[in-house]
Amino acid sequence: MNSLNRIFLNGIKVLSITLLSIFLSGFSQNDNIPPGPEKVSQRISEGISSDIKKAAGSMPMYGNWETFTSKDGLPADKAYCVRMDGDRVLVGTSAGLAVYENDEWRTYTVEDGLAHSGVLSIDVSELTGDVWLGTLGGLNRWSAGRFETFTQFNSGLANDVIYSVICDGKDVWVATGGGAGHYDTYSGQWGIYTERNAPMHEPWTYGVCAGDKKVYIAAWGGGVIEYNTETENFRDYLDPDGEMEIDLFPDDGVVHDITTGVSYADGILWVATYFGLSRYDGAHWKGYFDHDSGLLSNFINFLKADGPVVWLCTDLGLSSFDGETWVSYQKNENNKNGKILITNGSETKELAVSTSISHNFVIGVDFQDDEIWLATSKGVCRGERLE
Amino acid sequence: MQLTLHTLVSTLLMLLSVLQLNGQEKMNYGKTPDEMIPYGRFQKAYINFFDDPQAFTGAGREKVPPTDLNEIRIGYLGPLEGSVMVPQGIQMLQGATLAMEEINERGGYNGIPFKILAHNDVGLWGAAANEVVKMNDEKVWAFIGTIDDVNSHVALRVALKLELPMINTGDPDPTFTETRIPWMIRCIADDRQSSYALVNYIYRKKGHSRVSVMRADNRYGRVGIMEFRDAALRIGYPLFLEVRFADGETGFTTQIERIINSSPDAVVLWGNAKETALILKQMREMGMEQPVYGCDRLMSPVFLEIAGQDAEGVVTTCQYNPTLDHPKLRAFQKNYYKRFEMEPDVFAAHAYDGMNIIIEAIHKAGLNRALIRDLLTDLKTFQGYQGVTGEIIFDASWNDIGAIWMTEVRDGKFEFFPPPPLTSVTSINNKIVSTAD
Repeated sequence: MNSLNRIFLNGIKVLSITLLSIFLSGFSQNDNIPPGPEKVSQRISEGISSDIKKAAGSMPMYGNWETFTSKDGLPADKAYCVRMDGDRVLVGTSAGLAVYENDEWRTYTVEDGLAHSGVLSIDVSELTGDVWLGTLGGLNRWSAGRFETFTQFNSGLANDVIYSVICDGKDVWVATGGGAGHYDTYSGQWGIYTERNAPMHEPWTYGVCAGDKKVYIAAWGGGVIEYNTETENFRDYLDPDGEMEIDLFPDDGVVHDITTGVSYADGILWVATYFGLSRYDGAHWKGYFDHDSGLLSNFINFLKADGPVVWLCTDLGLSSFDGETWVSYQKNENNKNGKILITNGSETKELAVSTSISHNFVIGVDFQDDEIWLATSKGVCRGERLE
Repeated sequence: MQLTLHTLVSTLLMLLSVLQLNGQEKMNYGKTPDEMIPYGRFQKAYINFFDDPQAFTGAGREKVPPTDLNEIRIGYLGPLEGSVMVPQGIQMLQGATLAMEEINERGGYNGIPFKILAHNDVGLWGAAANEVVKMNDEKVWAFIGTIDDVNSHVALRVALKLELPMINTGDPDPTFTETRIPWMIRCIADDRQSSYALVNYIYRKKGHSRVSVMRADNRYGRVGIMEFRDAALRIGYPLFLEVRFADGETGFTTQIERIINSSPDAVVLWGNAKETALILKQMREMGMEQPVYGCDRLMSPVFLEIAGQDAEGVVTTCQYNPTLDHPKLRAFQKNYYKRFEMEPDVFAAHAYDGMNIIIEAIHKAGLNRALIRDLLTDLKTFQGYQGVTGEIIFDASWNDIGAIWMTEVRDGKFEFFPPPPLTSVTSINNKIVSTAD
């Protein structure tokens, strides 16, 4: 049974619960919403029944989705990443960097100085405001309107395919196809971390994050590598069963050694894989899968934590989770409408909504104030926080 | 007579495999015998990851094919310079080239010729990643590659980002397909299958119990022997000793002395042909008379040439049997020799099959990467594909779990035979959420 079939069956199960819930509560959200995004937020807020509010608890909920594609000015429909930066939004696409500002899109390509048109990752330095771009052909620093390019040929980069870039004070960290890298913007010194000087099985890295004086690296086949920036020591976190085809116990470590992303916030380390999600509070690991939680899919492209909540970009939609409650967002297959799924334990409630995320194959997420932006396989979208 | 019986049993087992894959009975992942299931004697896994194929749910199927092409580009990624694997890389490229040229003689794709864009996977650190990006920039529709698992894994991850179909024809690393990336398939049997065959043969058929290993000190050696070690342990035979050697090393006295001190009754060699042949010679020179077994890379003219008389009796695995009297195989061997003036090796044969699969997928799906991917991974279109290397059977991770062969050096030649049948391969450890099929 493939994932789509499983989702279909789960969908029927969820739908049954929802219909019963609607019947009992007199809730008929979908009928009250006119098509189009106008004033939908208010209507959704007014229409959310008390049991939905109760189910969501303190979890933030977003709606009123607005989609942008190449028809709206994006250089390509496929968006790899998104980063909110004050009044503008930076989007990495397969055909360049797109910047949304004052309701207009502007594109930057190789001709403008990008190392490659495929922009996989973006971060902004809090110290300088410089924008760092991880591309398929090197690393860019976008500063004062000028693109500076770092590659294997002119810097200490381990590889030119930059899957992830983050700024941590004066330090820039990258996860590349040939190892993790560190660039000290003050000294100009580079560091390379591979299986030769770190406890990695292989040098392939795919995600990096920082927090509490530590840097965490998602290493393909090597689980998570933790680097203590004070002691300069490493330690690794692996799936203790040592097998690639199974997870013997879900809560004994990372659910799989092939990791695709890491994010740290509020003392919690979240680890994304194509096999499920892991949460580590510094003492205990907990694993989550699509069959035993509200996680939409085990295939997690990207994740980002904000306070107690983690946002999970999966191939079947967007999930969010605070350790207790799941809130997920999906687009309907055959129309522009979508749904919000709220899961507590084994109970799931569904809220039908008239706007949806742009595509269920979600690759990137970022949030600022009351807005959330998603990068997807078919455009980017903006959502508003619902009261 | 014995060979015929073995062949019959092997064929019946393969037929059983197909029936199982068609849903009549679920088999263990990787055709793993019950007794070799990880933790199978003690604990049922919470989740098995590869019972079902991973879907690709992204966009792309709606893209309109271009109409202004004058060639259909296919990428090739392999060792072409700067590696000890260059001879194998060249064979792989030649196998793919032969398949492409034959199709072009028949009109290519609607009159448009196919063209291979070859990329060397050895160079700068992580070169494979950069090369796959270049292939994407060159607008290839799919690519073949590669042999060294260090490069295969790197390429695979980029293939996912770029949504570029990848068919692996030369890397037997079991973990390559254990990644859930729905943009690749592999049409060559992996070291898991080789290890199961060797373990069964060495411990069960030949009755050895004290086996020591010498393996290459690289990822190929480490990951390759991993399945052998685990399978042996699970049937009650932990390895006695595992020592390593480096590619390019020529003197192995220290390692062999350690092997001698472990008093093995058999030795397994896991590495490239040159080094393993030198090890074998030095083992014999140092008085070791124990039987020697090895991985598929020993099945090479280089091994026979260097090891000479000492190669007699060495048993290895091989991902196909080039001595079978199949018309398709014979034609391939004849045409390959005519075109390149050399005998095809295992990499050439599998690349020939892989390229033919890609081309057939393009013919059926059209010029759309997502649709090409859909056909390659649907477990229907190419399930049971009859290639020059035999029947290709894909499991849910798109790994080739078709028949593996064994060889023994007799009178200076590799003689092929099917491995003894494994014990039960039926499921005792089905996924807990498996409710359909």
